[in-house]
Amino acid sequence: MAAGFVPKILVLATERCAYPGADAVGKAHQEYGSNVYVFRVPSPVLFPEDFYLGSFARGIDGILIAACGSDCPYRGAYDRLAKRIDALTARMRRGGLEIERIRITAICTVCIKAYLKEVDEMNAKLLKVGPVNRAKARLLQEQAREELRSSAAAVAA
Amino acid sequence: MNDKTASGSGPANSSAEPLRIGVYICRCGGNISDVVDVERVAEVCRHLPGVVTSNVHTFMCSDPGQKNISEDIRNEKLNRVVVASCSPFLHELTFRGAVQRGGLNPYLYEHANIREQCSWSHKHDPQGATAKAIRLIAAAVGKLRYAEPLDQIRLPNQRQALVVGGGVAGMKAAADLAGRGIPVLLVEQSERLGGQVNRWNRVFPTEQPAAELLGALRKQVEGHPRIEILLRSRVTKISGFIGNFQVTVEGQIGPAGRRTEVAVTVGALVMATGFLPYAPRDGEYAYHQHPAVLTTPEFLELLRHAPDAATLQFQGRPVRSIAFIHCVGSRQVEGVQEPQADGKINNYCSRVCCTTVLQQALTVRQRFPETEVYDLHQDIRTYGRGHEDYYIQASQAGVIFFRYHGDEIPTVALRTDAPAGAPPLRLTFKDYLTWGEELTLEVDMVVLAVGMTAGTCQSLVEQLKLPCGEDRFLQEIHPKLRPVEISVNGVLLAGAVQGPMNIRETLAAAGAAAVKAAAILAKEQVELNPYVAQVDADLCEGTGQCVEQCEYDGALRLVQVVNGDGKARQRAEVNPGLCVGCGACVAVCPARAINLNGWRLDQYEAMVDGLVAEAPALVAATA
Ligand SMILES: Cc1cc2nc3c(=O)[nH]c(=O)nc-3n(C[C@H](O)[C@H](O)[C@H](O)COP(=O)(O)OP(=O)(O)OC[C@H]3O[C@@H](n4cnc5c(N)ncnc54)[C@H](O)[C@@H]3O)c2cc1C
Ligand code: SF4
Ligand code: SF4
Repeated sequence: MAAGFVPKILVLATERCAYPGADAVGKAHQEYGSNVYVFRVPSPVLFPEDFYLGSFARGIDGILIAACGSDCPYRGAYDRLAKRIDALTARMRRGGLEIERIRITAICTVCIKAYLKEVDEMNAKLLKVGPVNRAKARLLQEQAREELRSSAAAVAA
Repeated sequence: MNDKTASGSGPANSSAEPLRIGVYICRCGGNISDVVDVERVAEVCRHLPGVVTSNVHTFMCSDPGQKNISEDIRNEKLNRVVVASCSPFLHELTFRGAVQRGGLNPYLYEHANIREQCSWSHKHDPQGATAKAIRLIAAAVGKLRYAEPLDQIRLPNQRQALVVGGGVAGMKAAADLAGRGIPVLLVEQSERLGGQVNRWNRVFPTEQPAAELLGALRKQVEGHPRIEILLRSRVTKISGFIGNFQVTVEGQIGPAGRRTEVAVTVGALVMATGFLPYAPRDGEYAYHQHPAVLTTPEFLELLRHAPDAATLQFQGRPVRSIAFIHCVGSRQVEGVQEPQADGKINNYCSRVCCTTVLQQALTVRQRFPETEVYDLHQDIRTYGRGHEDYYIQASQAGVIFFRYHGDEIPTVALRTDAPAGAPPLRLTFKDYLTWGEELTLEVDMVVLAVGMTAGTCQSLVEQLKLPCGEDRFLQEIHPKLRPVEISVNGVLLAGAVQGPMNIRETLAAAGAAAVKAAAILAKEQVELNPYVAQVDADLCEGTGQCVEQCEYDGALRLVQVVNGDGKARQRAEVNPGLCVGCGACVAVCPARAINLNGWRLDQYEAMVDGLVAEAPALVAATA
């Protein structure tokens, strides 16, 4: 593994729960790595598999999906999301991309400890597995995208 | 409205003019700049693609800070704006406003959170924090490349209000709404208005008779030409959204209990369904094991009917001593108290019971001078104006205080061996006003100061998907900034439905809820935020995979459209009034034809590009 490797971690944080949770960590002046970047999302259910793989292909080393869990304000969204992440990890495993790079968890608006634990663990895991293989990720991204595209034909037929 | 045209993929600068982005970096006093090298951030960001100005300001949210934005938009012809400052939850709306005042569509704005999620959480890593701030801004700039001007969704407003619950909160909200010219339907499930306050005698801190207070409020609503009151009625069905809630109220009219159903459409609704006093379990402090163990509401009932005398009488026997126990059903400690039915304990303070106890204790000492009063508390929390006087007066009137710890709660036992006429109840506890000494008291009566628990609005909570806190009360959007609003637009919170409150706080909350509801209903149309799904008609192949994912009736459907060539084909269509913006549809579209406005997939991809860009790319000067 490359010396001095600092992984890039993307946190997809739900607007209702995890994003305010990440704010709460800052408000409490608790520290974590500055290699962790939080994006606010209504619900991560909106991302197709190829978005995650595309992010890896762009050089993101790990993605933490910080959802609302059972507090999800949207009907059925959490189950659909969980299923998608299952499919994604299966694809990553098949394609030889370390599944440690992706993790789904629930973070609430005051879950300071849980947030810190999750990002620290992700950091530790990524230091072990090293930088993402972007070429592999790119292949898998294209594969996932193609499958989705051709699902239209399957429906139309 | 359903056919807002999307400009699809590609740098969606709809007018196709070149990007002119302004970046504003806030010092937040020193909250940000003590850690992040803001000058350097501004310098690097000046070279991001499309950025024409990049500045540092001490307080972006101040008037001069905001003016900077609006003036630059005019002078520098900016067409996109990024502010890097505190959390978007604090000032995103502020800066959208500034952008709008500058004459730009408010959705051509992005917020980068470099305080809560940067300077405050990387205090000991100033270099890392500075680099992160740059990347977060680069991500925001990337997102703006694909931003489109958005319009708030406008829908006709049903300009009347529903108030659910006719306690003091409901009456106050109804009166204030009607006073602003708004027709109100007030639905109360019991046979009378007034709620829990009907059960109190004189209310602290004014000592006004409760009946008098309720009479004054009732006068404001009963017979008001704009208020319709439905008693013995409940809301059975509710659906829709701000400006347009469809409500079914089921009621029983007349003693025969004939059922009636009323259907109404309202633009806003006020939840004023109040609370329930905590109901102790059988055996909790010997409750229901001995008749002389009462709750505070039961004790008030006893006081109401008891004639003044040297000693209080109960069931034909003199009550020579009473022990009040505070915090029953409140401030419970995990592992010490048995959990409630839902497995949680009530760890919150109910806020009203301390003053209630002191008021009742004082009343006893005044009206029944030979009845001794003991007070067992964890703390005394007489937090309102005038409440502390009860404590002082109760002390002066000879009430004897003891202090127990929450993890060593008192026990109440029946004295089966007590001789006839002797006190039937024995309390054992450790008193921390005397350094933890174990004490026993033998008393004729125990009064449990029960707390406030969440009320009876489960059906509405489920139908409207209203969020509740850990304590089961309805949860506001923000305890300080938006205290009477809840995350479902058009629903306002009034009073104890939201958590323990006394009457004064309840009425203040109800007044605020009424103002908020009136503001919604003042408009001919309601404006909804535009973060809903939108279909790009050119890309949509009409396969309907998205429709299968949508959980919200009527939000997304397939419609037949006729092409220029006269051929009919299908395509997806969103009803922006019903779409909640969850995005479930987005992930499955094979053609990427459906997206969430404001949160488009291509925007997220551009954000990732911004994050990962290496330093040379970060300083590349071209778009
Ligand atoms: C023992 C005790 C003593 C107190 N004494 C004082 C005091 O002296 N001074 C003081 O300032 N405060 C006092 N309080 C607090 C006071 O009772 C509350 O502040 C007040 O009752 C809150 O009013 P509300 O209208 O929000 O709720 P509530 O009084 O609970 O009224 C809610 C109303 O909504 C109705 N309702 C509920 N669900 C539905 C539904 N689904 N559909 C239709 N209707 C529904 C109920 O029937 C009720 O009429 C005391 C509290 C306790 C527990
Ligand atoms: S108000 Fe007093 S009695 Fe009630 S829960 Fe709080 S501390 Fe306990
Ligand atoms: S965003 Fe959610 S509610 Fe809206 S159309 Fe898509 S699936 Fe339905």
